[in-house]
Amino acid sequence: MPEDTPVVEMRNIKKSFAAVRALRGVDLVLHHNEVLGLVGDNAAGKSTLMKVLSGAYIPDEGEIFIEGKKAHIINPWDARRLGIEMVYQDLALANNLDVAANVFLGREAVSAQLGSISVMDKRHMEQETQLLLDRLKIDISSVRLKVESLSGGQRQAVAIARATAFNTKVTIMDEPTAALSVAAIGKVLDLVRELKAHGCSIIVISHRLEDIYQVSDRMMVLRHGRKVCDCPVVGDINEFRERVVAYIIGARDDFAEGAID
Amino acid sequence: MHARMLKMSFIKDAQKIFQQNIREYGMYIAMFVIMAIFTITTKGVFISSRNIGNLINQTGYIAVLAVGMTLVIVIRHIDLQVGFLAGFLGAVAAIALVSWHLPVYASIPLVLSFGVLAGLLTAFLVAQMKIPAFVATLAGMLGYRGALQLVTMGTGTIVIPDAAFNAIGNGFIPDIPDIGILPGVHKLTLILGVLAILLFIINAINDRRKTQAYNFEVLSMDLFIIKLVFVSALVGGITWVLAGYRGLSWTAAVVLIVVLVYDFIMSQTVLGRHIYAVGGNPEAAELSGISVKKITYVVFGSMGMLSALSGILFASRLQSATTTAGTLFELDAIAAAFVGGVSVAGGVGKVVGSIIGALVMMSLTSGMNLMGIDISYQYIVRAGVLAAAVIFDVATHNRGK
Repeated sequence: MPEDTPVVEMRNIKKSFAAVRALRGVDLVLHHNEVLGLVGDNAAGKSTLMKVLSGAYIPDEGEIFIEGKKAHIINPWDARRLGIEMVYQDLALANNLDVAANVFLGREAVSAQLGSISVMDKRHMEQETQLLLDRLKIDISSVRLKVESLSGGQRQAVAIARATAFNTKVTIMDEPTAALSVAAIGKVLDLVRELKAHGCSIIVISHRLEDIYQVSDRMMVLRHGRKVCDCPVVGDINEFRERVVAYIIGARDDFAEGAID
Repeated sequence: MHARMLKMSFIKDAQKIFQQNIREYGMYIAMFVIMAIFTITTKGVFISSRNIGNLINQTGYIAVLAVGMTLVIVIRHIDLQVGFLAGFLGAVAAIALVSWHLPVYASIPLVLSFGVLAGLLTAFLVAQMKIPAFVATLAGMLGYRGALQLVTMGTGTIVIPDAAFNAIGNGFIPDIPDIGILPGVHKLTLILGVLAILLFIINAINDRRKTQAYNFEVLSMDLFIIKLVFVSALVGGITWVLAGYRGLSWTAAVVLIVVLVYDFIMSQTVLGRHIYAVGGNPEAAELSGISVKKITYVVFGSMGMLSALSGILFASRLQSATTTAGTLFELDAIAAAFVGGVSVAGGVGKVVGSIIGALVMMSLTSGMNLMGIDISYQYIVRAGVLAAAVIFDVATHNRGK
């Protein structure tokens, strides 16, 4: 496969909910080992676009290519099979289970099969989880701790680790730093950088422009269901913020009809 | 100085382990306290072989319901129909034996499969029609009560003449022939008890060694030995008491098998893990590819089967099917589960805990009966124990957050 084939390519995605045109033909490209920041005001279509990619919504129109191959994603399991994992904003973890159980939830390692009953290989799962946490430098004292006893930042780290654990091609993070303390935000951003260093391709949705600025290689701005900006993250933070806000509120638009590039 | 430091670290370890498992250990301690109090107040009658044997047989039909109810409450539902479903299916078993002239080995699987069907019907209402389990099973409770009265209407109580069937609720496992040693003691029960202890110890040591090989934390050696001694003494003590009367009853054997199977499923298998996940966060489970619907069908199906088993145990114990069989069983089973540490909020609870809960509730009844305490006070005491258990659960849960 040539190096420049994007991991994800979404072409002309359209999606309406009754009279509301949430996505009006959006293109998205994500390259290998790239962190893409996805920005926009509320109801700009960020989450809808990501839910289309992760199989929660079926688009009305448009095509999705994963590593150059046309993909038919009609539910979250299809997306997962293709290596697309989403970290949900409301943390899809089971608080009553321990860290290892959450990381392996829905894909438990099996040591023996008794008819239709599968016996779990708990030690293998715990060991793998420990290796995963070590690799991503996530600081949790034991993989046997119940998730309910962890801090918000640790939980987010577990949710992200879980999403990247199984040959994931693309990790989508929906507001990974929402509702976290400043220290915890720093750790989650470190984790995103760590994942990139390990070769992951990531899409981050965030309201916090500082976060996007700190971890993203490129960013995309959506406004009223259209892409208005797609450019590398460069320059200093203040200039960056000013520019992005201009796109978000509609003062600038690179893809307006008749706009000159 | 060195010894003192060792002692300090030992106490610290013990405290840590105790705090982490306070709900679980609290229950065992409660059971010991209750048993000790009754043993003293009844001058030893309570702990006599005969009384403990009867106690276990009386607990049997509630215990199997409590096992199923544990799973139902773990996935955040409730089942109010299990009492009259048990009563009705017990009557069906009696009719199968008496009117249809089916042999025991055909009647029992037939009734158990009826139970599964009844459970799947509940699951259909809950998972497919989205009716709250409370309402669906309240309807079931009324319906099965009607069905029970309908099938017993013509004859009233149906007497079961089948000796093999009645042995399930009243009989004991056979003994090996007397060889002169330990007269008056049930030797097969003793042998089984010793085997169980040996198996437990070998298993525990193996597990510890394997876990250490993976470099994971294990109990400190002192605590590990204390745990082994404690469990061995408990199993040994119960075995000795039972062997002093007529040995292990068939009811106890049935309950033991049910508990071992369900405990294994809940703690060691993917199915059990998924049941807990659905109880902890149904949305997360669904997003992880676990079908909440499928789990609901499995859990209510198993509850239906265990209701049938409870009905069989009860009918066998009374050697007949009566028009009121199963009355209030569901509430005893739910109380046993809560006393046994199942969380009111769902997601948390162990099968073994619910059995201990059932034993605690039945010990209260038995002990207070022996003391001659009026039934009205008995209800109030049991209410207090149930309330205390749930308050304890909510308090420890809130503190954890």
